[in-house]
Amino acid sequence: MTPVDLVVPATEAEALAELARAVPGTVAILAGGTDLLLDLDDRRLDPRRLISLRRLPWARHRWDAGGLTLGSTEPLSSLEADEELPQRLPAFAQAIAAVGSPALRRQATVGGNLGRAAPASDLTPVLLALDAEVELVGPTGVRRLLLDRFLRGSRDTALGHEELIRSVRIPETRPSSAYLWQRVRPANDISQIGVTVAYSPGDGRWRLSLGGVPPRPVLVPESAGELHGPRPGEEEVTAAAERLSKHPGLVADLRASDEHRRRLASTLCSRAVARAVPRPGGRP
Amino acid sequence: MPAVLHVNGRPVPLDEVPGDERLLDTLRWRLGLRGTKEGCRSGGCGACTVLVDGHGRLSCLALTRELEGTAVTTVEAAADDPVGRLVQEAFVEEGAAQCGYCTPGFVMALTGLLRERGSAAPTAELLRGLGGNLCRCTGYVAIARAVDRARRGLP
Repeated sequence: MTPVDLVVPATEAEALAELARAVPGTVAILAGGTDLLLDLDDRRLDPRRLISLRRLPWARHRWDAGGLTLGSTEPLSSLEADEELPQRLPAFAQAIAAVGSPALRRQATVGGNLGRAAPASDLTPVLLALDAEVELVGPTGVRRLLLDRFLRGSRDTALGHEELIRSVRIPETRPSSAYLWQRVRPANDISQIGVTVAYSPGDGRWRLSLGGVPPRPVLVPESAGELHGPRPGEEEVTAAAERLSKHPGLVADLRASDEHRRRLASTLCSRAVARAVPRPGGRP
Repeated sequence: MPAVLHVNGRPVPLDEVPGDERLLDTLRWRLGLRGTKEGCRSGGCGACTVLVDGHGRLSCLALTRELEGTAVTTVEAAADDPVGRLVQEAFVEEGAAQCGYCTPGFVMALTGLLRERGSAAPTAELLRGLGGNLCRCTGYVAIARAVDRARRGLP
């Protein structure tokens, strides 16, 4: 077994140079490590060199009038500590709180979560529903991709082998949103499914996404299309839930049967809409 | 300057440590500090929790070389810190250990939380903060009492 090298570049230019020098397939990019390290242990990945992003000056986020831009290497715990997050992007705050445990969230990053593209990610379905955009930096400059284009399949993304995820932009066009999940244990477990709903007052339409389905979380426009306006009626919600429960991605695996997943999809869909709809005089 | 990491106040040179070695393995096998336990080795049980610069950290998911320049505290040195000692005493007083395998992780995680949040943090919030620490023996009741006792004992 050859020893594995670890490099910890301090600048973006150094990090990109390291990547450019490497033979594709022989390096792994290390962000929080909460997922990558498991693959190294099991030898599912066998890189010669690890490039840690820890020292890059990306680990911060900022709000502006149009939304949130977050650095890919910022730990989830520091986003969680932002008191504006639950007000301005409720579904995203709920998804962050769903990841692992408080200790895990000190290490895990949004960039790592997107780059590793796990099918059961709690963050990707929410970021899909919120129209998040991924900013990639590479030798020829910067490009931005909607997350729906960035995610290709299970563990598969559009990231080039000389590119890094630098930041993620979440527009605040869908202020009413909710993310609900189901698992065996509330902490330290992986969601059997996750349902996000998000409403845009701009066009009066809903977005709906489903996580925990192979090969990757997806938007479900046919289900979202049943919902209209800021307070969809009970029949609309039932129709959306019914449609969602028939999604072909709701299949059996080691975490849940297909029947259980279909029931969960329906129930979580109705509850998520109820949670997202602002209650007059109540808390948001 | 040679690359070092401080463990319980002592410098540990990193030259010989492979890039993919986990802090958990460095502590247990390189330094013989077996108080830190290996449970799931995948960030799901909290048994391997240590403090890095005073904050709780899962040592199974940390690469030793990435922690160059930091100060690691393991359960072996918990009693050197007033908060760590308080936590250990609370666990003893409340009988919050049965087989004891999870105890070092709980002690270090709670020490980190109390140092960050102080006695103003409600016990329920501290318990939520320990959501990643599993215990299969006690049913958590005695642990929850120890958390409350430690919090109330803070100056």
